[in-house]
Amino acid sequence: MPHTVTLEWRGGREATVDVQEAETVIDATERAGLGVPYGCLYGACATCTGRLLEGDLVHVSRPRGLKPRHRQGGYVLLCVAEPRSDCRIEVGAEIQADLVANPWK
Amino acid sequence: MSSDEYGQSVDAHGHEHHEVDGPGYPTPAAMRTESEREKTAFVMSLRVGMDVDGSDFIGVVDVDPDSDTYAELIDTVEMPNKGDELHHFGWNSCSSSCHAEGLARDHLIVPGQRSSRIHIVDAADPRNPTIEKVIEPEEVFEHDLSAPHTVHCVPEGKIVISMLGNADGELPGGFLQLDQDDFSIDGHWESDLGGMEMNYDYWYQPRHGVMISSEWAAPETYYPGFDLEDVEAGNYGDSIHIWDWETKEHRQTLSFGEEGLIPLEVRMPHNPEETEGYVGAALSSNIIRFWEDADGDWDWETVISIDDREHPDWDMPVPGLVTDLLVSLDDQYLFFSNWLHGDVRMYDISDTGSPRLVDQVWAGGNFGDRQTVDDHEIRGAPQMLQLSRDGRRLYWTTSLFSSWDNQFYPEIGERGSLMLKADVYPEEGRLELDEGFVVDFGDAPGGPARAHEIRWPGGDCTSDVWQ
Repeated sequence: MPHTVTLEWRGGREATVDVQEAETVIDATERAGLGVPYGCLYGACATCTGRLLEGDLVHVSRPRGLKPRHRQGGYVLLCVAEPRSDCRIEVGAEIQADLVANPWK
Repeated sequence: MSSDEYGQSVDAHGHEHHEVDGPGYPTPAAMRTESEREKTAFVMSLRVGMDVDGSDFIGVVDVDPDSDTYAELIDTVEMPNKGDELHHFGWNSCSSSCHAEGLARDHLIVPGQRSSRIHIVDAADPRNPTIEKVIEPEEVFEHDLSAPHTVHCVPEGKIVISMLGNADGELPGGFLQLDQDDFSIDGHWESDLGGMEMNYDYWYQPRHGVMISSEWAAPETYYPGFDLEDVEAGNYGDSIHIWDWETKEHRQTLSFGEEGLIPLEVRMPHNPEETEGYVGAALSSNIIRFWEDADGDWDWETVISIDDREHPDWDMPVPGLVTDLLVSLDDQYLFFSNWLHGDVRMYDISDTGSPRLVDQVWAGGNFGDRQTVDDHEIRGAPQMLQLSRDGRRLYWTTSLFSSWDNQFYPEIGERGSLMLKADVYPEEGRLELDEGFVVDFGDAPGGPARAHEIRWPGGDCTSDVWQ
């Protein structure tokens, strides 16, 4: 059963996409031409990091690029994530930058 | 004959000692003195990790001052997929195959660091390269490897790529070998990994049967960004590895500890007689020299240390972060970048164990007085370097790696990076920023891009090895 995922960029842009059964969020955003960033497509690189604001989203393979503190903070890797309900997710290149700050500043 | 054309003829390069038309130059001096000035540059250009919905591309930059399009991006070759993170790249063939019949330097091997996809690009026309073949990630993962980095062509018709991870982006990495004829995957290059887990860059010296490789970290560690917790946990490299080039076995590990955290680029002199070289330890901000002892073992010492600097806006002292270095074709000068400080330095290495600082240029970064060139804001700081074959022009780009840019120079992710240039005066040991040369990848067609490694058609001081 498809779920409607609402994507929110920090600049104010918003879009919705229907994610099909057994489809990752990135597969769906690419199909819809929404330009959500991604890299490795297997959960290692975290380029596709989003932040789950609402709903049930599961990782279908291990999100290696996230540390426990990131997962506790709601961060998700959209290339290996499938919705189990309608969701709201914060997306865009800036979200990845939340993961690791400049350690010396 | 222009050096922008491949397959330089025997006559043009004075191959007196053999009769075979090969793809390179018989000696480093021949490349330095008999090639013409670079006219175009290939520049890895990235959209990965940006809110620009586009692919990474190979940028062709006009570097011919007599051209109407000097210092402009004159062609872009878009990759067929998004998210690759083009990074380093190399040739199908170079001076190491100088004596091989039927080979030409006419294809670029362009890996995606994040995607593990490998592009084979026909670069016979330096102004109009085209993608000829794509090795998809699944074919690479079948060999339990990922994250392709350094590409060197090697004698006997092969191409060897350092791979930083296994198929899951974890350790260990290894080396992937391709065939030069059809660019198919042969399998692993190495016969025995020995004590090597982490991988990054490598250089080889076929006359002495040795290869030296360095260490970054597991892809799953460095891909998401630089986390000091990972350094404390020992997840970043501090060693280089000595390999037997003939048997492809790991022979020796040189561990630097705190002195050599994150040893990245490995450079050896171009003179094939030499059995020494340098590696830049990025995090420790040291240049480490390594050499072969009389008994055949390898040893090392730190020969240059960049001191951390206090910055009013930073809580902790700022390391230089030595991210790239190169050696001129005459083996007289070493250049390296301090990506966090913002300078590029020139050292006289005629006494290899005692490098002597002769000049430096500041441009961008956290300490440079100069933050604009020709009215363009300098986003980032000197990073990937490339020197003209004659040693008289040093070019660089200012982006390091998409996720690491986001931490240290986030403006690159929004507005792209730059390519800059300094004029080098080797007779005087002097380096001077060319304020008339700036290629702003923020203005790239289709939206801003990050610019990374630079190569010249016809080869350069970081691509070619002599037997």
